[in-house]
Amino acid sequence: MKISLKSRIVSVFAVTAIAGTVMVGAPTVASATPQCATANFVTSCAGVGADGAPYTFIAPANFNGTVFVYSHGLRPAIAIPATLGVPLGFGGAVPVSNAAEPAPRAAEGDMSVITKLVGQGYGVAGSGFSRQGVNATEALAANKELIATFKTKFPTTKTVIAWGQSLGALHAQMLAEKNPELVDGVILGCPAANPQNALMAFFGDSLYGFKALFDPTIKVGGYSTDPVIRQQEQLLNIQKILVVLGKLGAEIANPVAASTWPDTASPAGKALAAAGIPARSALLTVGLMAGAGTRSENVDGTSAPSAATAETYPLAIAPALAVLQNMGKILNYGTFLIADGELLAGGKVYDNTATDYAARVAADADLFGFALSGNTAVAAILGAINATPREKADPAALAKVPALIGLSGKIAKPTIVFQAENDPFVPAAIVQWYNDSYVEQYAAEKMKAMEEAKKNRNYVAPKNNLITLWAKTGAKYSTFTATGAPNLSAKAGPGTGHCLWTSAQWLAAADLMLATLKDDKRPLGGKIATAARKVGLSYDNKFQVPAFKALG
Amino acid sequence: MTASAVLAVAALTVTTVPAQAFNPRSNEPGITATTIKLGITSPLTGIAAPGYNKIPGAMKAYFDYVNANGGVNGRKITLVSKDDQYIPTTAVAKANELILRDKVFALVGTLGTASTKALTSSTQLSRRGIPSLFVNTGWSGFADKKAYPTTFAILPSYQMEAKIIAKFVKDKYAGKKIALIYQDDDFGRDALAGFKTAGLAFDLAIPYASGAQALPATGAGWITRLKAAAPDVTVMFGVSSATTALLGAAAQGGWVGKTQFILGSVGGDATTIANTSRALVPLLTGAKGLSFAPAPTDSSDEYIKLFQTIYAAAQPSQTFDNNVVAGMSNAFLAVQAIKAAGPKLTRKGLINAIETKGATLANPFLTPLGYSTTSHVGATGYWFGTYNSAGALTPDGGKYTVYTTDSGTGPVVESTYKRPAMPAKGL
Repeated sequence: MKISLKSRIVSVFAVTAIAGTVMVGAPTVASATPQCATANFVTSCAGVGADGAPYTFIAPANFNGTVFVYSHGLRPAIAIPATLGVPLGFGGAVPVSNAAEPAPRAAEGDMSVITKLVGQGYGVAGSGFSRQGVNATEALAANKELIATFKTKFPTTKTVIAWGQSLGALHAQMLAEKNPELVDGVILGCPAANPQNALMAFFGDSLYGFKALFDPTIKVGGYSTDPVIRQQEQLLNIQKILVVLGKLGAEIANPVAASTWPDTASPAGKALAAAGIPARSALLTVGLMAGAGTRSENVDGTSAPSAATAETYPLAIAPALAVLQNMGKILNYGTFLIADGELLAGGKVYDNTATDYAARVAADADLFGFALSGNTAVAAILGAINATPREKADPAALAKVPALIGLSGKIAKPTIVFQAENDPFVPAAIVQWYNDSYVEQYAAEKMKAMEEAKKNRNYVAPKNNLITLWAKTGAKYSTFTATGAPNLSAKAGPGTGHCLWTSAQWLAAADLMLATLKDDKRPLGGKIATAARKVGLSYDNKFQVPAFKALG
Repeated sequence: MTASAVLAVAALTVTTVPAQAFNPRSNEPGITATTIKLGITSPLTGIAAPGYNKIPGAMKAYFDYVNANGGVNGRKITLVSKDDQYIPTTAVAKANELILRDKVFALVGTLGTASTKALTSSTQLSRRGIPSLFVNTGWSGFADKKAYPTTFAILPSYQMEAKIIAKFVKDKYAGKKIALIYQDDDFGRDALAGFKTAGLAFDLAIPYASGAQALPATGAGWITRLKAAAPDVTVMFGVSSATTALLGAAAQGGWVGKTQFILGSVGGDATTIANTSRALVPLLTGAKGLSFAPAPTDSSDEYIKLFQTIYAAAQPSQTFDNNVVAGMSNAFLAVQAIKAAGPKLTRKGLINAIETKGATLANPFLTPLGYSTTSHVGATGYWFGTYNSAGALTPDGGKYTVYTTDSGTGPVVESTYKRPAMPAKGL
């Protein structure tokens, strides 16, 4: 990218300004006009949208007409006290916050994405949205308004790139689907999506399994409509989940079957314990029936703490331990999402009355024979689960879910997706759904183009609009303490964790998108692969992860 | 450009972008005008390694022999071998290395039902169009062409084996008390289905989770239950390490010679047992077993004679046993299949060659091969024998009486199959 001398000077000052993170204070009431301040050739603005959503945007004096509009990921819709915030990994109490985030990593205090983009003449913008939780409706409105406001302030704006992570990626995609005229490109980091309610089922199945076996008082759904009671119910649920996870974790490596079950176990769970079936086998069964990963941030599935356990540990312990670590996120965030989903939809949104858990587990049972304690044990565990009453959704509420968090998955604009192979919370199956849907979409577009060519003897190939980059999971990354315990607080292994993206990875995606828009076609595969490889990602069209189990 | 040319370009583009479907190419990984690279992942270390760890070496010995004689259709074969320790998740990682890093043309001889299922699924062999030749597992599912379009079995299915054992038990031990120990997964599930089809019921059935045989309490638990039931005949349908655990626990529990053991083909490998404890091998004496290949001690068999010669030169310090026969037979069949695919070798062409010509390929086995355009099953029968004190299985009656059947409800019948003569120089 060529930059004039004047632009380079401006860029140097812009970088300096951003590095100092000079931001204007956000107004507290809705206003059509943002409050802006300019220093060192960089204009920073903040305002409040019509529905009260705070927003902010930044652009340099040499603004080149392209702005990146960022949507942040899920924030709980309820305040979380420190007693739960710490074990959940937040580091303390978590207030409900609508603070605006103008770019990836900014919330973590890493301004390098903003610095780099603004330094190159791009604008960045982001809203905090007027409410948290399942907020696709609010996000769509806020993003539309933000783009309009930005264009008013910077009338030379020509190109809008919507990007986001996790639930924010859903917002970015929804903006492109609902208002394609506002968006030129889309970048989705670890995107959440809910095809055929599969994501809701992923969380619900996990919660249901824990309720059926480990604590019958765990809620799967059916939260109060009273906001205070609903909040208390969610926090209590998380407390119970943490207790169960703690007890399972403390004894997961214990080969003595009867001692490994939490004392909160359901009668069905206690019967399984009495039959000598280890709790880890039940835990793994729940993971497999929900589709949870059998590798996690700190469990690679093949390592062992000692030579003596080089085989028994990966075979008997590791798969369940990985599910345990993944469940720490699935169950707790699932509680938030289901509770908020019910609030918005007006009733229960999770339904497993027709789910065939045996079929789901059968697909994986042999791979984890020792950890599951064999087919006979699996049959007993599934029998216990099947004896637990199923959860029935409110049909009217269920019908509203697609409007709340549904996407068609249709790719109408150049789109870059990047995803970790073993994301505990937003499964890679979502990206597989994007890919599979796009294969069908692209084939249909090809057929249509061929039909057109028959009529006018002029074939125009449709553009291939989707680039998928994978963070593939490494082979070995588990570590153990001196006593042989798994180190579950170590740095996450490559290709694991939820949205653990670096600034370099976001910027690589941004560069690829800019190159695509500049040439009106995506870069050649070799260039994509090289750009991905430089930041630890992989471009491999033949790579595929298992589909959502809930999609059948 | 003419309309037809336009459409041809369009049609071509449909098949190539985005690249999500299997698309055979002439310039495929792992193959040049003079070389073919194959890969195997199997347990070279760990609980299943004793015995099984000889398979890649045996395969390589035969490939080297072929290479020294000009290769296959002018191409020399290299074999890349990885150690998966018999752990499915490790097998997946190793298969990924073979495909992505080593860029092998095909996998060959992967071992174990769970490991092979895991790597086949996770590395998307069928989607990538990568052949998986002659997997060393008898799980009947691998014969299903629809489910595993690029995978070919070599062993008879465990359902076939169970049906043949059932006939043997019913013929020889009618009215006796029968016990079964079986691996509680797809391996054992296949066997249970075969026993049920054949109408053999057990007075005692003991399942074990694969891997649990490594725990001392497992074998001890079996003996406790067997002592209580006192069966006349005990069928072990598990892996050799499970047989080792059984024999060890029987010796410790003072329960030697109390039952007639019948060992499934997977569980009767004396090398594996000897590697754990040589003292256990004599406990095999008199046990019944079955195999579909000639006995490794049978030097009168032209294949065994050739294999013994090749292996003695390549691995002079190693014992020639069932695992060596398995590895060399695997390699032999792979060579025959590659040869049948012709000089313009592609992955798709290789698969097609096995489906259309596989049933007639030269091979050492004493039963027919079942490859066809609808089935990927390998050998289809067994002969029975008795173990001696050295752990060698020799055919009952001094000759191979082979029984054949299918994985469904077909009868078990004595085979009339006559193996074709070995190709010149075994090439």
